[in-house]
Amino acid sequence: MILKTFIKETKELFREGRVRISLIIVLLLLGVAVWISARQYHTVNEQYITAKTTERSVWDDQGEKNPHSAAHYGTYAFKPKYPLALVDQGVDKYVGTSIFLEAHNRNDAQFSAAADQTGLARFGDLTPDFILLFIIPLLIILLGYNSLTKEHEMGTFSLLKSQGISFLKMILGKWTALFLPILLITLALFLIAGMVLSRVEDFGVFQWDALLTMCLIYIFYYAVFTNLVLIVSALVRKSGVSLVISLSVWIIACLVTPKMATNVANNQHPYPTAQEFATNIAKDKEKGLDGHNPWSEESKKLEQNVLAEHGVDSLHQLPFNFDGYRMQKGEEHAAEVYFKHYKLLKSQYEKQSNVYQSLAVLSPYLPTRFISMAVAHTDYGAHWDFSDAAENYRITTQKYLNEHFAENSDYGEWGWQADADFWKELPAFEYEPRTLKSTLKTHKGNLGIIGGWLLFSFGALLLTSKRF
Amino acid sequence: MFRPNFIYELKQLLRSKWLLLLSVILVLLFGFATYNGLNKVEDRKTIIALAQTETQGNDTKMLKILDSLEQGQQVSLSPWELPSDPVVVGSNYPRIAAMPAADFAFLATGQSDLFTHYKKPKVYGGSIIEDFTEMTSPVQLLFGSFDLAFVVVFLLPLLIVAFSYNVLSAEKESGTLRLLAAQPISIRSWVLQKLLIRFFWLSVLVILSLTLVLLVFGANPFANLLNLLSLFGLVISYMLFWFALAFIVNLWVGSSAKNAVALLGLWIGFVLLVPSILNQLGTTIYPMPSRTLMINELREKQGDATKRQDEILDNYLRDHPEYAVNDTTETRSFWHGYMASQNLLRDEVKPVMDRYNNQLKKQQSWINRFKWLSPAITIQESMNKLAGTATSDYENYREQVLSFSQEWRAHFMPFLYNNREFTKADYTELPSFKYKVSKTTSVGALMIVLGLSVLVYLLGVLVYRKKTTNTILTT
Repeated sequence: MILKTFIKETKELFREGRVRISLIIVLLLLGVAVWISARQYHTVNEQYITAKTTERSVWDDQGEKNPHSAAHYGTYAFKPKYPLALVDQGVDKYVGTSIFLEAHNRNDAQFSAAADQTGLARFGDLTPDFILLFIIPLLIILLGYNSLTKEHEMGTFSLLKSQGISFLKMILGKWTALFLPILLITLALFLIAGMVLSRVEDFGVFQWDALLTMCLIYIFYYAVFTNLVLIVSALVRKSGVSLVISLSVWIIACLVTPKMATNVANNQHPYPTAQEFATNIAKDKEKGLDGHNPWSEESKKLEQNVLAEHGVDSLHQLPFNFDGYRMQKGEEHAAEVYFKHYKLLKSQYEKQSNVYQSLAVLSPYLPTRFISMAVAHTDYGAHWDFSDAAENYRITTQKYLNEHFAENSDYGEWGWQADADFWKELPAFEYEPRTLKSTLKTHKGNLGIIGGWLLFSFGALLLTSKRF
Repeated sequence: MFRPNFIYELKQLLRSKWLLLLSVILVLLFGFATYNGLNKVEDRKTIIALAQTETQGNDTKMLKILDSLEQGQQVSLSPWELPSDPVVVGSNYPRIAAMPAADFAFLATGQSDLFTHYKKPKVYGGSIIEDFTEMTSPVQLLFGSFDLAFVVVFLLPLLIVAFSYNVLSAEKESGTLRLLAAQPISIRSWVLQKLLIRFFWLSVLVILSLTLVLLVFGANPFANLLNLLSLFGLVISYMLFWFALAFIVNLWVGSSAKNAVALLGLWIGFVLLVPSILNQLGTTIYPMPSRTLMINELREKQGDATKRQDEILDNYLRDHPEYAVNDTTETRSFWHGYMASQNLLRDEVKPVMDRYNNQLKKQQSWINRFKWLSPAITIQESMNKLAGTATSDYENYREQVLSFSQEWRAHFMPFLYNNREFTKADYTELPSFKYKVSKTTSVGALMIVLGLSVLVYLLGVLVYRKKTTNTILTT
């Protein structure tokens, strides 16, 4: 019975014009989206490599210089793009791509693509994730809204009843007929993506397991939508009404709930403005040691302590340059202040994430979106990870420069300059993104929710089949 | 025939509870959106007010210190924190260059979550390239905000679709179409009348619920009557466009379900696809130069300027002979060299920055050329402009801040190069910033959307001519 229904439904679907037309449109859109994204990916990668090497040579060729001047001159950390960003661009457009690493200050990533675009960009981009998350669910609705209502409308329902069929089996057959084409499209798509991406000879290793995870998440997402569409189709009598209700579900899940969630999250756990954040940091910084200010109380205290520790009575007698030492201590204080404030910001973000997660009961879109972005290394978490890594590199660089200054010069010798070759010895900034396993671990909640959606919608579908 | 039709339609609306349902939905959607919008505006106002009070507090302190200094008293400040040094005033006591919220800012979030609403231009300590972006969670930027513009542009058309997709087909499906055909009215006028009546009632509902919501939440809608009228004009013309589409689809396509599919296809096209395709094309035809490569370029210029600081200072002084004449001490501190090289650097950086602004302007004008392709874009843009949160508003603000920043720096240069101290008397001379709003009008947008509605209606009439009454009745 399942097989027969499946074969009949599939035949019917492919004979109908709307299916062919909508399939062609979706595939066409997808093709364009992939082509555009691939082009962008290539240019961004090329720019990344150029920028990284040029910046390093700018650093290496500074010539003779005081290490602390070099620290102020600073260097840049550029954010790489990873292969799966081609499938899901996530929040990439809204976060900066380069972080300036200098003495005393932790800077935020600068230059987000969205700030360089017109207001139209806020409508969304034609990217593969737009098709995967928005358009394919719509396709499911379009293919399945009348799956059961048409039996009522064409009067075949009583015929079926007189045959004494099992409605559960019929529904399962219809489910398979609706889901299989979507499944095949998705699998083919990810297979092609995998083949293309595994050939890209750039940095950032492509992983099949990450792609597979992503593919699975989308299949779950589509299964949930298939269930919902069939439930609606089973509950109402008219195709038109069924379509309108299914669409309302889509709108609430994909458009309304995410927007509502941002408002709720921001009202409950607001972010500070950039200015506020900077002011708070400046206030905390003032409370501690400033490496540039030898006259402050904190500096005097440090002086006394160091003198006592080494058992000498003048800074000149110390085995190292106290200026460099104080600079390092000031740096450590600043790093602590930044750590504290960024931790606050991060906790605010985590609270917001919880709001998103709790609203995910209204929308299967939310958990899918979050997991997909995370696996592609294009989510906010990945950005945090990169920014923290850059900060760690900044702290070690400062330490390295300050120690070189302290060890090789005498107290008060601000004019001292390091060799022109010294800069090359600084290790380069290397960043490894999080592993798939640890990403999935942080998204346990979202995985649970999408699983819950799957189970719950299947259960509801089975229950509705009993109504007949 | 219009009168019975009107009465019948009204009775049906009242009895089917559609009207009640629609009113509840509209009030809920408008209410939530307005609440969010007003919240955002409130935050923005508080933030600016806080910054302003802080500045005033700092100024009072500065004046006190200056007063003590001028009377020869001791102050407990390090030498490089004394406000008698013009560079200290220019850097530690900046003015607030704020972009206050417009009357109707609650209408559309626009770009307001992306950009900051106040800057403090400084003589020293700011970046060569001012960063105007705000600290917002990118997830929030990705999903967007639930504001009135979203309700109008995205959701209102769907309500119209749900309200009008089966005007004709429902009659056909319930078998009353033949009865109707016996009446002395053409099917076309009948559909038109029916849709016009629905359009009328929905417009009344929208205007009433919107006004009610605004009054309840305390956003006085009558404070700016012109804006309110523009808003109503925009919303109603947008609704008219969707009703015109419903008209053509009702006449053209057959069953209720097919009508619904067709209308939803149009919705996806106009609201989701056309904007994203236009944007994609705009950024492809006028691509932004790479910001990462720009950093490389700036760094090289910066390195060069630092190395040549002395030479730059000499050139600067040669260009400004007035400083050499007025200053008898001829003292040269770090600041003299630094400011001269910064000035040069800014001049060199300007063309680089202009590249970005020009490209953005080109993208915008490209979109303006094609925005009539989708009324959704036109309406969203006009609502952003009414709210003062459009791309052009932030561009305007950016330009004003940059020119103020230049004015601010220039104000201190004579102090620095004449080696003159900053005194209490100089305080009143400090330049201040006032944001000048650029004038906008919604007339153009209204014309576009109304024109499109008429075009769609005429298309509907044409379609009807081709398709005779016969086929409507039989198929």
